[in-house]
Amino acid sequence: MATDIAAVGGACGAGQCAGKCKKALKDGSWSDNPVCMQILGICSSLAVTNRLENALVMGGALIFTTTLSNLLISLLRNATPRRVRMIAEVAIIATFVIVFDQFLKAFSPQMSKQLGPYVGLIITNCILMGRAEAYALQNSPLPSIVDGAANGLGYAAVLAIIATIRELAGTGKLLGFVVLSSDVYTPNQAMVLAPGAFIILGCIIAAYTALKTKPKEKKA
Amino acid sequence: MKDNAYTVFYSLVLGVVCAALLTAASIVAEPYKKANARAAEERNILGVLEVPFDQNASAAQLSKTFEKNVRAVERGGQKLYEYAGDDPSRPQAVAVPFAGPGLWGPVKGFLALESDMKTVRSVSFYEQEETPGLGGEIGSAWFQGQFKGKVITDPSGQPGLHVVRGKAAASNEVDGITGATMTCDKVNAMLDKLVKKIIEEQNNHGN
Amino acid sequence: MNGTSALIILVAAIFTNNILLSNFLGMCSFLVCSRQVATALGLGAAVIFVMTCTTIINYAAYHWVLKPLGVHDHLYFIVFIAVIAAFVQFIEMFIERFSPSLYHALGIFLPLITVNCAILGAALFMIIRNCSFVQSAGYGFGAGVGWSLAILLMSGLRQKLGYSNVPKAFHGVAIIMIITGVMAAAFMGFAGMVSIQ
Repeated sequence: MATDIAAVGGACGAGQCAGKCKKALKDGSWSDNPVCMQILGICSSLAVTNRLENALVMGGALIFTTTLSNLLISLLRNATPRRVRMIAEVAIIATFVIVFDQFLKAFSPQMSKQLGPYVGLIITNCILMGRAEAYALQNSPLPSIVDGAANGLGYAAVLAIIATIRELAGTGKLLGFVVLSSDVYTPNQAMVLAPGAFIILGCIIAAYTALKTKPKEKKA
Repeated sequence: MKDNAYTVFYSLVLGVVCAALLTAASIVAEPYKKANARAAEERNILGVLEVPFDQNASAAQLSKTFEKNVRAVERGGQKLYEYAGDDPSRPQAVAVPFAGPGLWGPVKGFLALESDMKTVRSVSFYEQEETPGLGGEIGSAWFQGQFKGKVITDPSGQPGLHVVRGKAAASNEVDGITGATMTCDKVNAMLDKLVKKIIEEQNNHGN
Repeated sequence: MNGTSALIILVAAIFTNNILLSNFLGMCSFLVCSRQVATALGLGAAVIFVMTCTTIINYAAYHWVLKPLGVHDHLYFIVFIAVIAAFVQFIEMFIERFSPSLYHALGIFLPLITVNCAILGAALFMIIRNCSFVQSAGYGFGAGVGWSLAILLMSGLRQKLGYSNVPKAFHGVAIIMIITGVMAAAFMGFAGMVSIQ
């Protein structure tokens, strides 16, 4: 019938599945971290990390959309003709992102305003497309869900770290609550503007690289 | 041949499913979006009129507070929001909405005047798309806070509320923002137009 | 409606509101293709062309097709993406047909542009800021030039970077980010030009 079948994911025996899921979890969140290792999703990591709550919502959005799109693409992987593969992926990703956007507008208009066009830009976020092509198309649904969630988590974690630094150093507040009052610390506004974002992300990636290349010297 | 037919069939089904999901989400979200828009507007007006209200109030409570304290009237083609005071004929404060083009996008705000209709109670620029850190500072507390207590006419009686370059001198002037000259110029023009209209309205009605 | 002239928007989009250095869009291609000046030049030129044309087409699609139909609020993302993908595909076919040498020179640039979030971002910003037709054209062109300027500067710096002593952990993306941060700070300085901001 449909001769264009994507690479077969293989039957998912219980033991095989658990191992795969564990690997997907570890890879997605740490060893193959989407931001620090795969260098994907950089645009939003810089744009929405000016406030911790923005970063958390964006992280949540990405976990939601990546998990669901990975799931659907994995379920459809044998049914999708090769020719329309990319367009189908974009359509599925776009649908989930826009659904999220509509619900954000309905139930949290303040966040929707703060995030602006960056919610819609999740569609072009290379992480979703990247995971769809690299994982969901070749694997069965359950590991794909884990992979999507793990990558989302890895992304969210990096964003949270950047945002904490930026908000604290840039305004002295965290999640809107004043942590460093202005008598103790003069906020450095450059941190919440563009230059600070780039520099902090650079330092974080450097720290990640340093941590990864010297695991044996870390004593628990 | 069969491949093509399947591709078309698949694309159609996927397209329909996606469109259906999107439309469903849009329909479900619609009433909430409308309610949010109204609540946001009420919150803005209550804030600029300095009506005391709980910041964490729900939309329903906000509506109640709004209905109790604020009255919308139309005068001279302008929509005004009056904060009722003890004297029924004289409102405690009046909020006048304004809108105009900023450098990057539309700027919308409210100007609230005290009962003498000359002193500024507060101003709010609740919608603007200016450059963050530069023109975007018009939305910040320090810029808006400057307006409190200023008057909308200069000492000789000429209408005008000005955003000046450098330090403000007169009682109808506020400091501009360094590096955001164009935004401030546009805001200045907006306020100028608004104030002229308010004064003209007052003169016509002998208010 | 915006009263700012298209020329001011164009200049501001290049310097003070640079789509890469202020709005963080288009980072992925920026990181990958900024290794050599020649590559950066080619990609930059392609981006300017695609961004200008697609911003104009998307303006037309939004205001003359979607809005009258009333479906603009939830369908415009997909339509914009479809327009951009279709446009790039069309240009690729056109160039392959009429100038095979140019097609080979551009190589993989064209498909790379489809996933450049700056292109979609420019269209989205145009809608948010309520630009008129002329302003949208000015903004699309200016944003493209701004992006190309940033990648061109970075490619020049990266070629010099080979002679510097970069700490091991910072090799690769990390040092690029820091350099970009400094560039972003420098570009913010353009706000001092009274006529622009």
